[in-house]
Amino acid sequence: MKYAPLLLLVTVAVLIALPWLVSGSMLNAAVQMLISALFAMAFGLLCGQAGMLSFGHAAYFGVGAFAAVHAMNAFGGEGLLPTPLLPLVGGASGLVSGLLAGYFSTKRTGVYFAMITLALAELLHALAPHLKTVFGGEAGVSSFRMPAWGIGFGSLNDVYFLTLVWTLVSIGLLYLFSKTPLGRLALGLRENAHRLRFLGYNTHALGTLIFAISAMFAGIAGALQSMNIEAANYVVLESHISTAVVLNSFIGGVRVFLGPAIGGAVMTFFGHVSSDLTRVWLLYQGIIFVLVMMFLPRGIVGELVERIRNPSGEGLARTISTLLARLASLAIAAFGAVFLIEFLQRVLSPEYRAGVTEGNWPDIALFSYDWAPLSVLPWAFGLGLFGFGIALVIMVNRRVAARKEAQA
Amino acid sequence: MSTPILSLQHVHKSFGPAHIIRDANLDVLPGERHAVIGPNGAGKSTLFHLCSGQFAPTEGKILLNGKNIAGLKPAEVNRRGLARSFQITNIFPGVTVFENLRLAVMRKHNLQFVFWRSAARLRLVNEEVDDLLTKIRLTERAQTLASQLSYSEQRSLEIGMTLASDPQVILLDEPMAGMSHEETDYTAGLIREITEGRTLLIVEHDMSVVFSLAHRISVLVYGEIIATGTPEEIRGNARVKEAYLGEEAA
Repeated sequence: MKYAPLLLLVTVAVLIALPWLVSGSMLNAAVQMLISALFAMAFGLLCGQAGMLSFGHAAYFGVGAFAAVHAMNAFGGEGLLPTPLLPLVGGASGLVSGLLAGYFSTKRTGVYFAMITLALAELLHALAPHLKTVFGGEAGVSSFRMPAWGIGFGSLNDVYFLTLVWTLVSIGLLYLFSKTPLGRLALGLRENAHRLRFLGYNTHALGTLIFAISAMFAGIAGALQSMNIEAANYVVLESHISTAVVLNSFIGGVRVFLGPAIGGAVMTFFGHVSSDLTRVWLLYQGIIFVLVMMFLPRGIVGELVERIRNPSGEGLARTISTLLARLASLAIAAFGAVFLIEFLQRVLSPEYRAGVTEGNWPDIALFSYDWAPLSVLPWAFGLGLFGFGIALVIMVNRRVAARKEAQA
Repeated sequence: MSTPILSLQHVHKSFGPAHIIRDANLDVLPGERHAVIGPNGAGKSTLFHLCSGQFAPTEGKILLNGKNIAGLKPAEVNRRGLARSFQITNIFPGVTVFENLRLAVMRKHNLQFVFWRSAARLRLVNEEVDDLLTKIRLTERAQTLASQLSYSEQRSLEIGMTLASDPQVILLDEPMAGMSHEETDYTAGLIREITEGRTLLIVEHDMSVVFSLAHRISVLVYGEIIATGTPEEIRGNARVKEAYLGEEAA
């Protein structure tokens, strides 16, 4: 991991130069990616480091989002809380609500802990529409970013840099936190809370505090979100937000430090791109999650780190050529699968069914060709590619296994 | 006779109708290595759980340095100077040996809710961890994940963690369970070394270890201490022979 600092520097440099490199729509996506990266990192502290799987982190994200919107309206971006400091309000409200919720939920562990966090988040979500003054009902609460410190905060660039600075600083703080005594104790809590008690630690207080710190960073992410869209609506409290952060973190790798951030950013980018291209992008997201959990249980980054730490012993060139062969085979299989799913989705869509008259099934355009749904051709094409790709993967795997056996 | 450092007075423990500990009386003197032996199911582990705060006794007093600790929580008992190991290895498997010991040492320095200092720069803590590593002879393995240690190394680590809070009284629950002869000799030597200047209460099934290591032995049968004395006295005790040692020791 010699090159880690260099890699980090290059990443930050690219992030700073990004507004001059990509289009406005992409920059907008980048803001979303940063926010979900930070949110996932907050979750990662609780779940990856301290071993507490929360199913209700949307609550603290949402609390931060609403607190920031109200603060924006109350201070008008001036005085004690100029616009760039508004995420502090999100963090503070996340911390307080995290202390409260953490006190109750960390009295239990494992499944029971998860159920309590889920129940608390659902409680807030059910309550929110009835508290119109706080959560603004169906319409939500909106506000305007005001200029401060000589910055307009009207343009997308300004918002991007505001989000970037807060995200980088927060992730930096989370890194430093992991190196402190309390941060180390989070690992102890994950590994063996029973032993910690017999070493003289107050595990309930430790759990509550770590929960609250996680909620604080989730609150900052929420504040950045509502500042970005200049509004907050109670849909940010919905359970799919809680689920998304769990899935993103695990896809990235919840046990390695930057895993959740990468998972959050990658999956948000994937959502941004694929939701324009296909209606069933959530299905793809689900499939990706299942595949990652089945074949890369440490997550994408976790698996990468593991490979770098324990190289296969085949040399760099061999490892890369194997990797490329696997990726190419998987790409073929993926194309076949996507073709089948997209074709099926079009056949089953209500629009298409409405166009079917008296046994006359019109052709369907997909990937710039017209395919007849009753012909065997499109199905054979998709299935064939899928099967071919899988066969290639199996072949590559067999070769690797044979080489290993020959070595041993 | 000096005043006992740990004293159980008329201690009872019931789980529902099951009366596990029946009027146990035991005095452990400062600086001695005291072993508790007894047949399976006699309540040895329960006795340890009572002393270390895992369970509260149904009746009776447990005095540590003259103060009653019966019913205190494990963390509080530990803070008063009594630390224990476990029959089943109880470590932090997913982190390094160094980290295991650091987590154990930090408590002594009151580092619990501290998030403004770097753990790597806690000079005193890290020095003590290095000392412990030397004592339990695991310096070479400091950066290994605890889960990848051999069984006897894990037991050593467990003993090291028990030692970390610099306790006056150490409770070791079957530290040699499942060990080979060599490992047992090795661990017995280790225990002798590290308990120098401390008080040890140990439960162990290996009689050769018990009789060579302990200054005094107490025999627990059906939740009752039926005899306490030097190894010679226990060997010669008729009641003990009948109840436990049987032909083997005769």
